[in-house]
Amino acid sequence: MLAKSDIFFSVKSVMSNSHLPRSAFLRGAVAILPLSLATAPWGLLAGSMAIEANLTPLQGQALSGIVFAGAAQLVAIGMLKGGAGIFSILLTTLLLTSQHLLYGMSLRSVISPLPGRWRVGLGFLLTDELFALTSQYDKQQFNRWYALGVGLTFYIAWNLFTLAGIVLGSSIPGLEHMGLDFSIAATFIALITPVVRNVPTVACVAVSLFCSVLFSYWQLGSALVLAGLAGMTTGFLCNKFYVRQTA
Amino acid sequence: MMVWAVIFGMGALVFLNRYVFLEPRLPVRLSSNVRQFLGFAVPGMLTAICGPIVFMPDRQLNLQWDNPYLISSLVAVALVIYTRNTLLSMLLSMAFFFLLRWWL
Repeated sequence: MLAKSDIFFSVKSVMSNSHLPRSAFLRGAVAILPLSLATAPWGLLAGSMAIEANLTPLQGQALSGIVFAGAAQLVAIGMLKGGAGIFSILLTTLLLTSQHLLYGMSLRSVISPLPGRWRVGLGFLLTDELFALTSQYDKQQFNRWYALGVGLTFYIAWNLFTLAGIVLGSSIPGLEHMGLDFSIAATFIALITPVVRNVPTVACVAVSLFCSVLFSYWQLGSALVLAGLAGMTTGFLCNKFYVRQTA
Repeated sequence: MMVWAVIFGMGALVFLNRYVFLEPRLPVRLSSNVRQFLGFAVPGMLTAICGPIVFMPDRQLNLQWDNPYLISSLVAVALVIYTRNTLLSMLLSMAFFFLLRWWL
């Protein structure tokens, strides 16, 4: 991951003052910048679809400001448009965003010892992207200001792009048929590919990919989480077996 | 009114999902096995999110060469491996995607 090697590079170059809040915050903001920009089409889509579904501009913006979960927002907008009830929307949201439970579990050792306002703040900002950029740090290396820089920059960018989508969506009809959702695939591919370097990870990605398509084809509500869990289990078992073989 | 209830309800649920394991008073200790398992969360979950977007545009399975999502994803993987540059790969693969869609 280049973003990662960038971070390591800047860690080295500013080792003397990297623990200072301001420089750590800026380091985080810079690290997330490429991903923030790449989320633009996805944010535009979230804004314009809200308008398309007859939500008021304020409601469209509030989805990004309060919920702050791209995939769940887009699905909820689609369901609102289709006349779904509040409980089916909320249940879908719960299933669609349950990967965050795993992220929270994974970051528990570094975030749970922090004071309450940090836990709540970083918890609110915990996205796929924030997790991808902070998951590799242990207790010594983890910097709360770095994480805040990542999370807050991404939050602001996401809301600005949503705003742009709301403004554009009112004037350009059919924005949702332009394939803007490819941006999320492109972003995640760029994040995953460099991590796939050993047999267990290859197995994890392969199983996860296959299952996500199969489960979605079967239209399971929790298709993505189940597929992710299947991939993670495969990687984990493969790792056990592989390590025992080579050790 | 219903829309606002949906927005705040979703906000509460998503925050709950994100926060629950960050709460120190929650009595859980994670074993080394669980930690190893969670180490696969980035590739496992992000791949699962990509899968349906790439292989099932418009919710229809499409494994043909006329699926711009599929071809552009392969281009994205190749670009990351070749250039080792995250931002450049994302931008070029998106540009490729939109050109391809326009051309198809």
